[in-house]
Amino acid sequence: MIVTISRHSANTSASTSTNQTENPRRLEVVCESAASANAAFKIYGSGDSEVRALDGVTVSFEKGKFTAIMGPSGSGKSTLMHCIAGLDSLTSGSVTIGGIDLAGLNDKALTTLRRNQVGFVFQAFNLIPTLNAEENIVLPLSLGGQAGDREWIDKVIDTIGLRDRLDHRPSELSGGQQQRVAVARALASQPSVIFADEPTGNLDSKTGHEVLSFMRRAVTELGQTIVMVTHDAGAASYADRIVFLKDGTIAGEMTEPNPEKVLDYLKHLGE
Amino acid sequence: MLLLSLKMTLARKGRLLLTSLAIILGTGFLSGTFIFSDTLSKTFDRLFTDVFRDVDAYVRSANFIEVQFGGEQRSSVPIETLDTVLAVNGVSDATGDIQAFARIIGKDGKPLGSDNGPPTFGGIASASVAGLWSVDDGRLPTGENEMMMDRATADNGDFVIGDVVRVNAQSGSREFTLVGIATYGEISSPGGATFALFDQPTASAFLLKPGFVDAFLVQGDGSLSEDQLAARIDAALDPSLKLETLTGAQITEETTDQIGAVIGFLTTFLTIFSLIALGIGCFVIFNVFSITTAQRLRENALLRAIGASRRQVTTALLVEATIVGLLGSVLGFFTGIGLSRGLSALLAAFGVDIPTRGLSIEARTVIITLVVGTLVTIASAVFPALKAGRVPPLAALRDTAIENVGNNHKRFSIGISALVAGVIALVLAALGVNDWFLGVGVVAFFAGVLIIGPGVAKPVALALGRPVEWSRGVTGAMARQNAARNPKRTARTAAPVLIGVALVTAFTAFAASVEKEIRTTIGNQFNGDYAISAPSNGFGGLPISLTDEVALLPEVEQATGLGFATITLNGEGRFVQVLNPATASGLIDLDMVLGDQATLTANGIIVSNNRATTEGWQLGDALEIGLVDGTNKSLTIEGTFVPNGFFGSYVINRDVFLDTNNTLFDTIIYVDIRDGITDEQARVALSAVSSDRGLGTLLSRQEFIDAQSGQINQILGLIYGLLALSIVIAVVGIVITLLLSVFERKREIGLLRAVGMTRSQVRTTVRWESVITSMFGAVVGVVLGIVMGLVLIVVLADNGLSAFSLPISGTLVILVLSFVIGVLAAVYPAWKATRVNIMQSISTT
Repeated sequence: MIVTISRHSANTSASTSTNQTENPRRLEVVCESAASANAAFKIYGSGDSEVRALDGVTVSFEKGKFTAIMGPSGSGKSTLMHCIAGLDSLTSGSVTIGGIDLAGLNDKALTTLRRNQVGFVFQAFNLIPTLNAEENIVLPLSLGGQAGDREWIDKVIDTIGLRDRLDHRPSELSGGQQQRVAVARALASQPSVIFADEPTGNLDSKTGHEVLSFMRRAVTELGQTIVMVTHDAGAASYADRIVFLKDGTIAGEMTEPNPEKVLDYLKHLGE
Repeated sequence: MLLLSLKMTLARKGRLLLTSLAIILGTGFLSGTFIFSDTLSKTFDRLFTDVFRDVDAYVRSANFIEVQFGGEQRSSVPIETLDTVLAVNGVSDATGDIQAFARIIGKDGKPLGSDNGPPTFGGIASASVAGLWSVDDGRLPTGENEMMMDRATADNGDFVIGDVVRVNAQSGSREFTLVGIATYGEISSPGGATFALFDQPTASAFLLKPGFVDAFLVQGDGSLSEDQLAARIDAALDPSLKLETLTGAQITEETTDQIGAVIGFLTTFLTIFSLIALGIGCFVIFNVFSITTAQRLRENALLRAIGASRRQVTTALLVEATIVGLLGSVLGFFTGIGLSRGLSALLAAFGVDIPTRGLSIEARTVIITLVVGTLVTIASAVFPALKAGRVPPLAALRDTAIENVGNNHKRFSIGISALVAGVIALVLAALGVNDWFLGVGVVAFFAGVLIIGPGVAKPVALALGRPVEWSRGVTGAMARQNAARNPKRTARTAAPVLIGVALVTAFTAFAASVEKEIRTTIGNQFNGDYAISAPSNGFGGLPISLTDEVALLPEVEQATGLGFATITLNGEGRFVQVLNPATASGLIDLDMVLGDQATLTANGIIVSNNRATTEGWQLGDALEIGLVDGTNKSLTIEGTFVPNGFFGSYVINRDVFLDTNNTLFDTIIYVDIRDGITDEQARVALSAVSSDRGLGTLLSRQEFIDAQSGQINQILGLIYGLLALSIVIAVVGIVITLLLSVFERKREIGLLRAVGMTRSQVRTTVRWESVITSMFGAVVGVVLGIVMGLVLIVVLADNGLSAFSLPISGTLVILVLSFVIGVLAAVYPAWKATRVNIMQSISTT
């Protein structure tokens, strides 16, 4: 199968393209899954020192939903996210993003896929210090040499409410503002899925709330797909669904969460 | 603490080695220079000891003239005196010796040896044990039609015994039968020179003057010491002949010393360039330590927080510097052994072919290399180390800080003061107050620019990066911002490029101006159609009989020869131009101020108006001159002329030498062709008597002007070769800085890769940052170099170099090369940047 991953094909989902195999968006519609892992194993070392970071995980993230991955330290949640996002490779098993199997993609194809189909928000150090807020937001598009959908980008900028700060460098923005810019950057290319790794880990609860509600709106109002790794029950309760991980395996899941429910479940999980 | 800092240094082996590289190259060049010159000295010492082994006494004329940079010219000895020497009690044998110009013409009709190569000698082959040559094959030449040559020349020229060989010398061009092949001491030919050897009467007549030789080589019978023998010979000589006798040991020492002086000059020249290279290495070391100190801010702060004193932190860094310096110097020393070979090759490429046997490594070389290398490194690290000690312990808790830009206001005021001081010193130098001001001015000017550098690095880098951003989009924008984000670092990285480029530009501008000046001068003063030019290395020339021969050709309207001679003028050795006023007018026209060149008499001299002014000479004043053979004359100043880079300060009539015992060559014959003669006809006729016989090179007016003005470019080529090392160090500096920057920006690069930057885009970013940095150095360097070139020209203006010429094409080449340097320096760091592990760099825990 020839998979052409280009901004063009991703952007013209509503166009007249009929070649399904070359249009990831169309595939996505077919499987209704933005990203998935199938029998994923990630094993470090061997013999006595063998560590199974992922021990046969099968999970799928629905399109247009906000999913949280929770679990204690060392449960493999970050590893799972990195592998699904194409930042790290699996020992065995398969991963798809927007219907594309990541196995067999070379570094260049993976990079292009990340640029067009995946958005990232990290815990800290999300922005390039030498670029201003707007340049940071459109960075993935600029790297691909595209102007992007200006209307969409304006909408995203308005949603984060930082229009008057666009020409500021990251060092001139507060931590919360920086994270909002980071989320906007993740949204700018209308990716198949956005991965957020502890996006509020470095923020106080008020600014954390700002960022989380913005992410919530991105899903509800803008129809985006977000997968967030967190260990904060409060943050996780913004999601539509929570997947719990323990010792590299799926320990359970929960829909329509609230903080109390989550904490109860975690207590139960810890036993 | 000492152990700890040792451990911390050794933990970073890669960086240690990389930092050492800057010192390795500088000290390598330094030790290479020492090893090279020691080896040369040893080789020549052995050679001359060997050659003069059987010479117990040496008789020569006491008349000589010594000219600064021109060596000495000595008169000759009448061969009849040999009988007097042979009759001295204690002398077993003696023979005449000649070392004069002679050129062997190869089988292809071209002279052996090049104009700029080792000298081509003619001499005497003698049966005497005291003779310098031993017969290797065949027999000694006898009579006016036989010759012998050295083994190396016979091998190179493919000559065998029985061949008919054409040789050119002062008296003209002749053919001889090769009857023997000789070796010089143990070796086939000293220093790549060629030798044509004859019996004494032939050699005297053909090479020098009938009945005269340069010296006598005397062998004692063993009954007397060398000193006694020399004293006895001296007593037997007719005092009116003005001869002197040296012992064998003295002549060996004198010859060795003469070579030693040349080697000493060469060593000084090379040492200057190795010090420039070391100075540039200093900048690299300083920069690396500054960056690593900034990067290790938290580490040092942590040390301070847990109780290390300021001194301990500073000491730790100085220990690291000492290790870097020692390691670099030791490796540099070994590099020097290889480089000394390279220096031989470099000089050989420019025609200075010198034989070396083995390698001579003196204890002094090892000590100087290690001490200089280590001290220079420690000195470069002192400022960063002191700064590291001043880190507040609290900094450990903060996020890594970028180096602060410092006080720009203070920076500008100090920098501008240095610039102003430099300009004042340069103006004083230009006014001729004291030549020391030139050096002081240049150093102050450089210092000023380097101090201001960090203050202007940001706007300049941003401006230079603008086109990169336009053409490369976001990767270009990031390269531009990266080059500007840390102005101090950019300025320090660019500094070695700046210095290298400034020196190259200054030399280029200077050479271009000299070339233009010579071009104009020759254009104005030489009005003939053709020139026959002698080898330009100042040894030998064209027989003056050739000029007469050319003048008599039916195709020729007018021909005149121009030569030069060594004379003493009021007791001081000087070069003078020698012309024939009867034929010169219309072909060589001096820019006369007073008097007339055409009426210059055999008792007259024309001097430059500058000299006349400085010395207070007037027309009609008498100048006492002495010729090489001891003749003294009084010449009247009959005119003054405006000097230039081509003619010296004095011009005399060739008739001054009439009836004296001096050899006289022409170096250039200027020819005016009759109307109606085609270029081809002229060339055929002229080359038949000159270049076809191996006498000089026939050049058209334009070719001659190009050749004369192009000579400066050879020297320029050598200087470029030596500065290349400094440029290599500058590249190393950029490589190290980029690597440290990449290391520092690991997380940033990881993030960029995560959000979709391809590896080739990462490379592009690093590459353009490097190009912007090197171009920053190059642009400032070019401006500085042009200013320096201009100053040099102005300061040297009284030598006749009043015109300044901007080397536009040369400057463009320098800028393009700097661009290439930027690209090349980025190759490894860019590759390293693409290897950044995304996972590791973005994980926060």
